[in-house]
Amino acid sequence: MNDYENILLHRLKWTYLLLVVLTLMTPVIYVMYISFNANGFGANEYAFTLEFYGLIFSDELLIGALRWTLMLAVVVTLIAIPMALLAAKYYKAADNKLFPVFLLLAPLFVPPDILGSALLVFFKNLNLTFVWLGDQLGMSLFDSWFRLSFLTATIGLIIYTIPYSFVVILITMGRYHPEQTEAARACGANGWRAFWDIEFPQIRAGVFSACAFTVILVFNEYTRTSLLKGGFDTFTTVLISQMLNTGMSGQSYAMSALVSFVAIAAIGSIIIFTMLRAETLSRVARAKAEPVMS
Amino acid sequence: MPDQKAPAVDVRNLSKHYGDFVALHDVNVTIAAGEYFVLLGPSGGGKTTLLRTIGGFHKPTKGEILLNGRSVGHLPPDKRPTTMVFQAYALFPHMTVTQNVGYGLKVAGLPKDKVSEKVDYALEQVGLSQFTHRKPHELSGGQQQRVQLARAIVLDRDILLLDEPLAALDAQLRKDMCLELKHLQEKVGITFVHVTHNQEEAMTVADRIALIANGNLVECGNARDIYRAPEKAFTASFVGENNMLSGKVSAVNGTSVIVDVAGSKLTVDKRGLAVNEGQEVKLSIRSECVALDLVNGTHAPSDGISITGSFDESVYLGLTTSHLVRLPDGTEMVSRVIADVDDSLPEAGAPIRLTWKSSDIRLHVD
Repeated sequence: MNDYENILLHRLKWTYLLLVVLTLMTPVIYVMYISFNANGFGANEYAFTLEFYGLIFSDELLIGALRWTLMLAVVVTLIAIPMALLAAKYYKAADNKLFPVFLLLAPLFVPPDILGSALLVFFKNLNLTFVWLGDQLGMSLFDSWFRLSFLTATIGLIIYTIPYSFVVILITMGRYHPEQTEAARACGANGWRAFWDIEFPQIRAGVFSACAFTVILVFNEYTRTSLLKGGFDTFTTVLISQMLNTGMSGQSYAMSALVSFVAIAAIGSIIIFTMLRAETLSRVARAKAEPVMS
Repeated sequence: MPDQKAPAVDVRNLSKHYGDFVALHDVNVTIAAGEYFVLLGPSGGGKTTLLRTIGGFHKPTKGEILLNGRSVGHLPPDKRPTTMVFQAYALFPHMTVTQNVGYGLKVAGLPKDKVSEKVDYALEQVGLSQFTHRKPHELSGGQQQRVQLARAIVLDRDILLLDEPLAALDAQLRKDMCLELKHLQEKVGITFVHVTHNQEEAMTVADRIALIANGNLVECGNARDIYRAPEKAFTASFVGENNMLSGKVSAVNGTSVIVDVAGSKLTVDKRGLAVNEGQEVKLSIRSECVALDLVNGTHAPSDGISITGSFDESVYLGLTTSHLVRLPDGTEMVSRVIADVDDSLPEAGAPIRLTWKSSDIRLHVD
């Protein structure tokens, strides 16, 4: 708050901010609330229980769905982040920036249903082509390459997440001065060493944020995963199928709440750690800041 | 194995094109080992491109670069016997001063105790021994540039390239750092190649200066010759404060020529240049060599070493005062003197004569 700001206006701004956060978080909080109710969703009477949390690990459908989604998240992150990082590095060095940025962000402007359906048709045709190729060669080696599977879902999710990762990394990279890479080269470092020792530590926050963002996007994605994975056996597809068909089970609420708890705790810890570190660094800098001679 | 007799840097017929734009055109320059060499010129002239090409950050379009007698055109920056000091932002912000200075040694795989010993010595050379644990953002601009210097000299490379290393510093600090750079170069004895657009900086540090403009190496020589006896008209217009006069040769008499300038006939040493009667030429004369003659302003000059005009104004510049005089053809001439503004100066528009010694005026044909 600056010296000239009205105190009431200042409080109003904070109230508004808290209301926005509350509005965004209310559905999540409500899911958490239901997950502790022994009588489940819509019951007149609320009876606190932790029973559903205990049941999560015996629900094979949920654990299987979580396992698939985690595997997708890990594989997609491991592939998409290096690709996004390379793309961001190329973009920074490119003379003409308009064309690469258009290419990289284009998937963002295609509605998910259309992109998912297009990929579905593409993979089906590709699969038919590979099967035909196998038939011509008299072998069945290629038959399952592009059948709807973990691989096709991974490709679809990489296409989906790369633009977001690219933007997140590029924002952090914007603050990096390429003279530092040249200085490292002038000190005898080769290209990789200059990147790893000098550039990466400075863009690490962006890369890790992009990783976190990719994991969240994979957990969140329904359309592409349901169309391209087949089997409706990932975390979101299982929850939505349950909701549409039989209604969510108590342990499904508990699992949703648990994932939200973990995500909030992880992000909260990062924020608190960053704030504490910034405070420590600033205290150290203040302590060192005795007058210096030029 | 470096050739001990070969020059530290030998640039041969070097050209660098960016599409249609010619950044460097057929540049030839030789820099001796242990020399402090300055590439001076206006912004966008190609001096940084030349320096970065020597350092391996640009690939030449044509021509060759030899460092210590060895062709290095195919080598990346980390494989050349050079290191570089940049204008700014080149310190590694996540590392302390010690880590910054020791980085190249760490990359080279030196043992920790050796790295520590060499880093301490390098920091002592640049007077930063008490700042070892600071991060770059905790240092002043001058200190940051000294860390860059320490990081460069600690590597014991033969050639140090400096790309406008003082441009981001304030005027006083720049002056101090100029002398420090010169003394450091004398102490370490390696070849310094320094890019600047600041002529005072160039004069302070250079053994030799190369003037680069529009992608061409205009002139190369020691600092005194470049200042006092420029060969080319461009050099005269860029270095020092020269009065540039345009005129036509009216007579050629053995070793001198008579040039018509704004109605006056000026006698100028021919300097062995090929000039013909009627040829358009340029004359240069440094402003500090021009004196105001208040008494004879109305007399038509016939001595060949003076010209008349009308007094315009005086500009007080602290150490010196510049008197501005307008010639009949509209050219402005400056007479610079070490004196405060004199109350006895003529009114604006009063006729006045400007004089100089015959050895101070120079003829240029290009």
